[in-house]
Amino acid sequence: MKTQLTLKLNGKTVNWEGDSSRKLLDVLRDDLGQVDVKCGCREGECGACSVLIDGLLVNSCMFAVGAVDGREVTTIEGYRDTDRFRALDKAFADVSAVQCGYCIPGMVLAAEALLAANPRPTDAEVRAAISGNLCRCTGYNAIVEAIVEASEEGEGLW
Amino acid sequence: MVKANYMPTSLPEALGLMAEEELIPYAGGTDLMVSEAPGRDFLFLERIPELTQISQDDQYLHIGAAVTFRNILASDLTPALLREAAASIAAPAIRNTATLGGNIANASPKGDGALICWAADAQLVLAAASGQRTVDIADFYQGRGTTIRRADELLVEILLPKRWLAGASFCKVGARKALAISRVSFAGLFAAESGQIAHLAVALGAVADTVVRRPKIDAMLIGKTFSEAKAALPDYLQAWQAAIQPIRGRVSAEYRKLVCLNLIEDFLVERLSSAHNG
Ligand SMILES: Cc1cc2nc3c(=O)[nH]c(=O)nc-3n(C[C@H](O)[C@H](O)[C@H](O)COP(=O)(O)OP(=O)(O)OC[C@H]3O[C@@H](n4cnc5c(N)ncnc54)[C@H](O)[C@@H]3O)c2cc1C
Ligand code: FES
Ligand code: FES
Repeated sequence: MKTQLTLKLNGKTVNWEGDSSRKLLDVLRDDLGQVDVKCGCREGECGACSVLIDGLLVNSCMFAVGAVDGREVTTIEGYRDTDRFRALDKAFADVSAVQCGYCIPGMVLAAEALLAANPRPTDAEVRAAISGNLCRCTGYNAIVEAIVEASEEGEGLW
Repeated sequence: MVKANYMPTSLPEALGLMAEEELIPYAGGTDLMVSEAPGRDFLFLERIPELTQISQDDQYLHIGAAVTFRNILASDLTPALLREAAASIAAPAIRNTATLGGNIANASPKGDGALICWAADAQLVLAAASGQRTVDIADFYQGRGTTIRRADELLVEILLPKRWLAGASFCKVGARKALAISRVSFAGLFAAESGQIAHLAVALGAVADTVVRRPKIDAMLIGKTFSEAKAALPDYLQAWQAAIQPIRGRVSAEYRKLVCLNLIEDFLVERLSSAHNG
């Protein structure tokens, strides 16, 4: 039996019909073409599939699509059009915090969730905030540095 | 055919749906969604106000079953012991959705929130359209993954007795800090009044099919003065030694047992040497 639900995806209203127990990750990627959301482990361990739901960081592989009914989902593609994204983008580029890039959509959204709550985090707070996001390339230091830099340069944005 | 999404906005509405159909309660989904099984009929709990609030009375902290660990950490009412356990769970994205009720209802012996509730002798309120009941957490479990919850019931709230929570301790031995599900976990409550042990409760996680709590063993030291308790400590530890029958897993059973015994001993030695002013 199919369930009907409505969500806001990157600012646009989407009506969707299907099995409400499917992973939000699969619906985003396979049904809604949102391939900017990455799939790593499907078990909540890597953070590649991170999205914001009403501003909260969530692993979309650990979230049933039925639970987003009536809520707002932001993926990196929706977030790209913001000044906050541009501040993070510049900082990640400045300190060369991106290598293969697979973890980066999740890292950037984890950074946004952090900065929205805590605009001037310490290194330790940044590390805690991205502790559910695995990166196999950078060794994390550059990513932490980039997020701290964005928080300083982006003064007033968060 | 298209049906409505089951996302009730009140407890009576939720219980009405549970009475009509076999539905799977979905709180944060962080245990449920590990499974790839499609076609499950979930009842989403997040918009039920009765399940998402924390309050207190003289005796108890009332924690709604669908309160997330994020909100437990954000609440002023949260005692240090539960705060510490909540902070140890996974990473922010998991804590944003994972709930204490899900941690308890999932019936894994590794649940860190459940461990605290065992140590604190929490009571659980279960409700159905036909009525509600309150049970001790120890009576809720039948074994790994199984509970006495009937298919038409929801776990509504957790009653955490406040009296002994102050002198408590939590410790989790895991492999990796973020995301590490406990290999062995320990929670202990200790209180002294007029030079005697007034309360002692030890709970061990991830070591058997359910959390292990043995009030009869703890009773060996309750009522004793510190010097009496020190003298009785070897017998007490011996009783625990016999009570722990560890499960086999990725970590050897003997190792788990040894760690448990060490954690219990350290906890008591530390409390008995420092708490003269109790
Ligand atoms: C990457 C990762 C790391 C994790 N790390 C930890 C950790 O460190 N420590 C830890 O303890 N756990 C950990 N977990 C497990 C999980 O996050 C917790 O057990 C969590 O508390 C489950 O809550 P939930 O709300 O997500 O439960 P759900 O998945 O929604 O539900 C779990 C079970 O409880 C039932 N249920 C939920 N609510 C109710 C209710 N109100 N009434 C009746 N039944 C109900 C559901 O039907 C289901 O059977 C981790 C999980 C992941 C994916
Ligand atoms: S794919 Fe979701 S956390 Fe790894
Ligand atoms: S840049 Fe490759 S995984 Fe992070």
